[in-house]
Amino acid sequence: MIAKPVLSVLGPGSIPDRAGIGLRAEHYDAVLETQPPVGWLEVHSENYFGAGGKPLDYLERIRAHYPLSLHGVGLSIGSTDPLNRRHLAALKTLIRRFEPALVSEHLSWGSVGGRHLNDLLPLPYTEEALYHLVARVCQAQEILGRQILIENPSSYLQYMESALPEWEFLAELAQRSGCGILLDVNNIYVSARNHGFDASAYLQAIPRSMVQEIHLAGFMVNRFDDGEILIDTHNQPVCPAVWALYRQAVQRFGRIPTLIEWDTDVPELAVLVAEAERANAILEERHAQAA
Amino acid sequence: MLKLRELQLGFAAAVLDDEQNGFEQHIRAAGLSGARRLQIYRNNTLLSLTGALKAVYPVVCRLVGDGFFEYASAQYIARHPSRSGDLHEFGEFFATFLQAFAPAAEQVYLPDVARLEWTYHQVFHAAGHPPLDLVALAQVPAEQQGELHFQLHPAARLLESVFPILRIWQVNQDDYAGDPSVDLTAGGLKLLAFRRENLEIEFQTLEAGEFSLLCALTEDYSFAIACERALAAQPGFNLPACFSRHIVQGVLVAFHLQDA
Repeated sequence: MIAKPVLSVLGPGSIPDRAGIGLRAEHYDAVLETQPPVGWLEVHSENYFGAGGKPLDYLERIRAHYPLSLHGVGLSIGSTDPLNRRHLAALKTLIRRFEPALVSEHLSWGSVGGRHLNDLLPLPYTEEALYHLVARVCQAQEILGRQILIENPSSYLQYMESALPEWEFLAELAQRSGCGILLDVNNIYVSARNHGFDASAYLQAIPRSMVQEIHLAGFMVNRFDDGEILIDTHNQPVCPAVWALYRQAVQRFGRIPTLIEWDTDVPELAVLVAEAERANAILEERHAQAA
Repeated sequence: MLKLRELQLGFAAAVLDDEQNGFEQHIRAAGLSGARRLQIYRNNTLLSLTGALKAVYPVVCRLVGDGFFEYASAQYIARHPSRSGDLHEFGEFFATFLQAFAPAAEQVYLPDVARLEWTYHQVFHAAGHPPLDLVALAQVPAEQQGELHFQLHPAARLLESVFPILRIWQVNQDDYAGDPSVDLTAGGLKLLAFRRENLEIEFQTLEAGEFSLLCALTEDYSFAIACERALAAQPGFNLPACFSRHIVQGVLVAFHLQDA
C-alpha cells in the first residue's frame, strides 16, 4: 500500500509535557476501545517496518487519537559498518506516514561486519568513538531531515579503552551533532549500580536544555557468587529508587515528556496507565513549584 | 588500545563465534569478571534471536519442545547470523536449515511446517493492494484475453507439501480444542495463504488445476498458458468458476497485456 499522510491535518504537533506509555501489540484493542488518559504513545520503529498488515493498520487508527514518538532499537548508529541506508529509508517512510513528534535512537551499536547481534551494545567512550558518533548522528539527521534524540543505554560492562564518563560523552555528542537527549533514568540507575558511579552526578552533568524526553522502566537483579548485576529487563514496575532519581531529574530538567516502558511480561493496560499517573503526579509537583 | 572497529569485531566474535578469543582483557573487572559481563551480552543476543525465531515458528517449537528448539536455534544463529536490525527479517532460512539438521531428521514434515509458518509471517507483513479493476478487465477484447498477465495480491502465497502440514498447523494452535490426532499418511496438499481485506489470514487447500493456474500466473505466464497448465494438471477442471472466485475474493489484483 502506498504510504498516505492521512494525518497532515493534525500535523506532528508536539509531545505534551505529561507521561505517555509504550504501545505494545497486546494492547492495540484495549487502547482503541478505552482510549486511556495518557498524554502520548511511543512505539519501536522496527515493529512497523513491514509493508502492510495489522501492525500498520492498528498504528494508523491509534495515531488518530494520540501524539506519537518513534523509538528505534535496530539502526546500530554506533557501528563502524556503513550507516544502514535501507534501515533509514524504512524509518523515513514511517516518519512521513505517521508524523511523529519525536524520533529517537540509542547511544549504542548492534552490528559489525554485516552481522547483527540485535542488542544495544556498549560503546567505548573515547575521542575516536565520539568523533565517529557525531558524524553518524549528523548523517542520520541529514537523511531523515530532522533532529533525533539519542538515549543513554543500560550497560553491563565498561571497556579498558574508555577515557570519558558516559555523561560527558553523551553531552558532547548532543552539543556537536545537534541531537537531543532522551534521558533514561532507569538506565542511569542500572549503569550507576553496575559500575559504581553516582547517578545524581550523571543528572547534574547533562545540560538542562538538551533533554527532550525521559524514559522510566523496571529492571531485574542477577546475583552471582562474585557479585550482582542489574539487568534492564523492562518487565517490572519502576522501583522506588528510580522514582526518587526521577524526581531529581524533574527538579533539574523541568516538565519533560516521560515514557513508561514495559516490553516483556507485559501486564494489563491499566497497570501501565497507573505507572504513567505516578509519573504525572511528580510532573505536577514540579508545575506547582514553578507556579 | 583497540580502535573502535577492532573493538566491535572482537566483541562480536566473542559473542557469536569464540568465547575464548581473549576479548575479556578489554573489559574492566570490577566485582564481576570481564568474562561474566560478556556472558550477559551473549545471553541477551541468544535470547532475543531465539525469541524472534519462536515468534515466527511457534508450531515448530511446540512440535520439538522448548529445549530442542533452543538447541536448534543456537545452531541456526551460528550458521545464519541475523543480517538486519529489524528482527522480523530473521529466520528466513530456518526451513532449509531444519532439512539438513540431523537431530530433527525423524520429524520429516518439520521443514515443511517451518515453510508454512514463514509463509504466514510474510503474508502477515505483506503490502496491501486495492482490488482488481473489473470495468477495465471487461473492456479487454475477447481475442486478447489469452495474452493477459495477472498479478496476485502481495499477501497471497502458494505452498505445497507431501505432508498434511495444514492439519499439523491447525491442531497445534493455542486455541485448538478438538481432536489432536494427525494421520501422517493422509497425503500432501497444495495451499494458498491469503490475507483478506479484514487483515485476517486464511489457508485455502487448492485442487491441482487451481494450484497450477495460480502458480503459472505468479510466474508471469500468460492467461492462455496458465489455463493450459491448469487443464493439464487436472483434466475437466472448472476453470471459469475458479478464475472468477479468485477475482471476487481479491487474490488476483491487477492485469496487463504483454507488449507484443
